[in-house]
Amino acid sequence: MSKVLVVDDARFMRLRYRKLLTSEGYDVVEAENGKEALRVYEEEQPDLVFLDITMPVMDGLETLRELKQRHDEARVVMSSALGQERIIISAIKAGAEDFVVKPFEPNKILETVQKYVG
Amino acid sequence: MSMSVKFINPFISAACSVLEAEADAQITRGKVSLQKSGTTSKDVTVALGVTGDVKGGVFYGFSEQTARALVSEMLGEPVPIFDELAESGIAEMGNVITGLATAELEQKGYLCRIAPPTLVTGRGVYISTLDFHRLVMPLETQYGDIELNVALKPVNDSTCTGQ
Repeated sequence: MSKVLVVDDARFMRLRYRKLLTSEGYDVVEAENGKEALRVYEEEQPDLVFLDITMPVMDGLETLRELKQRHDEARVVMSSALGQERIIISAIKAGAEDFVVKPFEPNKILETVQKYVG
Repeated sequence: MSMSVKFINPFISAACSVLEAEADAQITRGKVSLQKSGTTSKDVTVALGVTGDVKGGVFYGFSEQTARALVSEMLGEPVPIFDELAESGIAEMGNVITGLATAELEQKGYLCRIAPPTLVTGRGVYISTLDFHRLVMPLETQYGDIELNVALKPVNDSTCTGQ
């Protein structure tokens, strides 16, 4: 079973991802900020990470850079309400595989997961 | 008023897009008005600060019932009480609307950042950043009314949205 790590400070968003992905048979683990995400990644070794950008403690871009430095093989999809071009470019340059702009679109999320982990 | 419309329109478009996409909302736009009051007028207010080429604040007001109904629809399950999960959901909605609007502002040449949303519960609560002229647009939906407040001005320009 493929495992997906969802990193978002909004509990509501983590629950939405969990409901959607578990209904399709994926295993879901969560973190509510970047610092926690790094720890959970080490422990769980997920196949894919959905990473929010605006978070307290450690934001998504900083987390992405740190995660890729420690685990170059990590596959990360940024998930954010911030659809500004410069942020998307920064994320891709920092090693993100893809970028999903909210609002939450279940079909798009599932297509993205299938694309990267099958 | 032309400057006002320039900044409020992206937020109206974004609010309608997000409400339609997330909650299948049927929306009727009300009339834009200019208001100045430092106190909240709804049960629940989501506040977001904006900085960059445009600065100020954006506020979304809901009755508690409307907020619960929207979160329930987005989540696909009943939300009987306005708890931490409901707070998280309605704050996220404000965040997504503002994010979408700022992407449109970027296309118009205004690069800006938004702060994480702050949730204020209760009517009549004083918010200092609310206490200046702002444009208010009511949006009627089947879940209840949503009050969109935009108080933004370009940096290096003293012309406020509502002035």
